[in-house]
Amino acid sequence: MKSYHDIAGDGGSRILEQVAEQRARIADGLAGVRHLVAVGSGKGGVGKSTLTVHLAGALLARGLRVAILDADFNGPSQARMAGVQRAVFVPPASSNGSGAASGTAKMALPRTANGIGVFSMGSLIPESEALDFESAAHGESHTWRATKEFALLGEILRSFEWGTLDVLMFDLPPGAERTVQYADFLGARTSFVLVTIPSEVSRGVVARSVAALAKGSHRVLGYVENMSGYYCHDCHAVKPLFVSSAPAALDIPCLGTVPFDPELARSCDLGIPFTSERETLVGQALDQIAEQLLNRLDSTSEHPR
Amino acid sequence: MKFLCVPCDSPMKLQTVSPDDRGSLSVVYSCPECGYEMAMLTNAFETQMVQSLGVRIGPQSTEGAGSATDASGGRCPFSAMLPGKDGAREDSTQAKVSDAVEPKAVRWTAAAEARLENVPAFVRPMARAGIEQFARDNGSLEVDEKILDAARTFFGM
Repeated sequence: MKSYHDIAGDGGSRILEQVAEQRARIADGLAGVRHLVAVGSGKGGVGKSTLTVHLAGALLARGLRVAILDADFNGPSQARMAGVQRAVFVPPASSNGSGAASGTAKMALPRTANGIGVFSMGSLIPESEALDFESAAHGESHTWRATKEFALLGEILRSFEWGTLDVLMFDLPPGAERTVQYADFLGARTSFVLVTIPSEVSRGVVARSVAALAKGSHRVLGYVENMSGYYCHDCHAVKPLFVSSAPAALDIPCLGTVPFDPELARSCDLGIPFTSERETLVGQALDQIAEQLLNRLDSTSEHPR
Repeated sequence: MKFLCVPCDSPMKLQTVSPDDRGSLSVVYSCPECGYEMAMLTNAFETQMVQSLGVRIGPQSTEGAGSATDASGGRCPFSAMLPGKDGAREDSTQAKVSDAVEPKAVRWTAAAEARLENVPAFVRPMARAGIEQFARDNGSLEVDEKILDAARTFFGM
């Protein structure tokens, strides 16, 4: 009697082939992107999204072509931070009647005031509403939801025009296990930057993400310590924000530190660029991190960690 | 998943997929040798798991997924993505726009509708609402290809 592997195909639906075709269309769509950089942490509330949008601004200021994909579908914040909450999605010009997901007609990305392409579910769903999916398995979303979200990520990657980019940044959701899931989905081309804050709790959680990523062949560029002190606009000094006696003990390079600046938080709430102010302390910190990031991208491209 | 006709030792072929019935699909296979037919009846978990892959279930040509129906009856796997409970996001979006400013209805030409079909299903409601508002702002109650091109230019696309 024949075994599973003796039989070619699945009798008609071509499920595995469809999944492979999806992945191939994603690869085609990202062919013009030089670097894929995922910003994660494992820990929530450390400023991944803030760092992503402002680091993108710092890279843009260095003359790079940058876009952001907000992969936190359940808690999207890039739409607000990047000022594309009211983005208008205009149908592409060409049409063969088979839809954007077929790979022939791609959607243009909404753009920030300074020209960064941004996709965020926050442009599609008001903040007062939650992302939900129709389901045959009512009330049992824990059994399928993650699969659906990654299929949605694939749909977004296939449907939008990423074009020629130097860096496509992914703003990841929190969770060490989620970081690894995204690493597996995005593949070996993707490099990771992890974000922590100067607290032992945060460092501990981020260390778990480092350990989890180290089990695979995932390339980790380093980490950024966010909220590394508080920048006082009155005395122009950085004061401690967390009582922390030990330095960050993560077994990956430190790309830089960013002090907490109320002006940066304000710019996020208002969706206005911040890093054009390179003369500010935070602007300089972000610029230095951008430089470190690019150096690491170039130096590790042939030798993933 | 594959099915084998044991007496013939022949792989069975997918014939039909019935529409979703309370989370269950009836997927009929037949043996190309003896003609024996059997149906796989999925439970809701199995149905949902395959749907969550974003693939379509049904007899297909080798040309790809576009010619097939999906597990929920031929719609895009993401057409029902919506905020809140079951219902049409498109309808709720339009209702909110209507409640807020009572805009005049905007017609879409067939060519413009065809271009809208190129927008991913989960983006389409917002795309429609945004374009209609752009048309109104530009003094038009009809969306045609000129309006779409103007919108692309206006929004820097």
